[in-house]
Amino acid sequence: MKEYALYTGCTTPVRLPAYERAVEVVLEKLGVRLTTMKDANCCGAQYVESVNHVAFAAMSGRILAIAESMDMDILAICGACSGSLKHVKHDLDHNEELRNEVNAILEEEGLKYTGTVEVKHLLQIFREDIGYDAIKSAIVNPYKDIRLAAHYGCHVTRPEEIVQVDDAENPTIIDRIVEAAGGIPVDYTGKTRCCGGPLLAMDEEVGNAIGRDKIDNIRKENADGIVTACVFCDIQLTQVQFGDEAGDKPKIPVITLPQFLGPALGIDFDSLGIHLNKISPTPILESH
Amino acid sequence: MTEQAKSDPPINHAPSSSFAKEIEQEPGGEGIMKCIQCGMCTASCMVASMTERYRPRKLIQKILLGKREEVLNSELPWLCMTCRLCEERCQEDVDLSEIFTAVREIAAREGHIPPVFQNTIEKVLEDGWLLNDAYTDFEEDDRSDLGLDTDLGWNNEFVKKVKKRYFKGGAKK
Repeated sequence: MKEYALYTGCTTPVRLPAYERAVEVVLEKLGVRLTTMKDANCCGAQYVESVNHVAFAAMSGRILAIAESMDMDILAICGACSGSLKHVKHDLDHNEELRNEVNAILEEEGLKYTGTVEVKHLLQIFREDIGYDAIKSAIVNPYKDIRLAAHYGCHVTRPEEIVQVDDAENPTIIDRIVEAAGGIPVDYTGKTRCCGGPLLAMDEEVGNAIGRDKIDNIRKENADGIVTACVFCDIQLTQVQFGDEAGDKPKIPVITLPQFLGPALGIDFDSLGIHLNKISPTPILESH
Repeated sequence: MTEQAKSDPPINHAPSSSFAKEIEQEPGGEGIMKCIQCGMCTASCMVASMTERYRPRKLIQKILLGKREEVLNSELPWLCMTCRLCEERCQEDVDLSEIFTAVREIAAREGHIPPVFQNTIEKVLEDGWLLNDAYTDFEEDDRSDLGLDTDLGWNNEFVKKVKKRYFKGGAKK
């Protein structure tokens, strides 16, 4: 059984714990064991990353070094975290001066970055470690007649040459898993566009307009639900459907990929934290 | 000077400062000179599609023209979502989000950081993670109902070392 060190990131454990739980139970069902990394720190994405690239490399570098001490590759379930860890790994592997600098600060607590661990986003575990055929043969309760729009997340898929998750212009992993589970993947305008989440700090109004534009494009294709692979995207695409600007259009349930896949694998709703989703996905998940 | 140049003085396109060269020396800023100002970035940009005040091509142009103080004092480099949609489409492989990150780093060194970035950086370098204040009994109950560990076990010692080493006197330096 393949085993990974799960780096949860800051946001999932607090804002979307059901995603964390669903990742654990779904991967266990499909033969991947997880050990949650403890004594970790924020990867430094966006904020520290913007103002000091060496401090950023130290923060993400420490997470990579902890995984080395656990002798495990890393599973990241947040787009920002997986992007940061992969970028910093790339920088540390190609820049000896930076690596020495980071190791000097890690040495004080007995940690060292040597570059032996790999960082994978959740989508890679499904495609590379488990595989579509194995997912398909594990489906015991396939969906029927439901239309799902995939939202991949910018930092999950770009830049393709560094993150190496999927085709950045035409990603298909979520769509193929939706199909394997019996759902109908639907295409829509602007599928690879951002959810608007990263702009909330600087301009909430524009960030939310970007998110609502995506929802409108998905609505035009009569999708029953949106399937996500990043905690920030999931939260953003949910919250933009509330409030005055959203109007009184029916809300489209937003659901993380493992929460969508779980019921088709025969996992009960409670174990996946379905009751915690702000827009109930129950009608979709009961379409068999 | 050649005879040709004497009789026919060149049109002077010299930038007003060496700002673009300075960006080129920063990690991430290496590719700025490759920009041909085609505008594919602005055409791809979701922020530009929603607000007139942000145009990535124009921001790169300001850097190429040497408008150092104007760029460093402005909020524009901080409006990039780093979604990299423009970079996937740029025919010259210009990494705009990395160029704007290099600009932010220079701006930060000179004390120009938007308050929301400043505050968040200070928090994360104190707590070790972003959501310490948001983690209440309510969220703990959700985790415990789901069978998840309620002790998140974040380390806040390392970030203090990072702060001391790289942010002398706080996030501003």
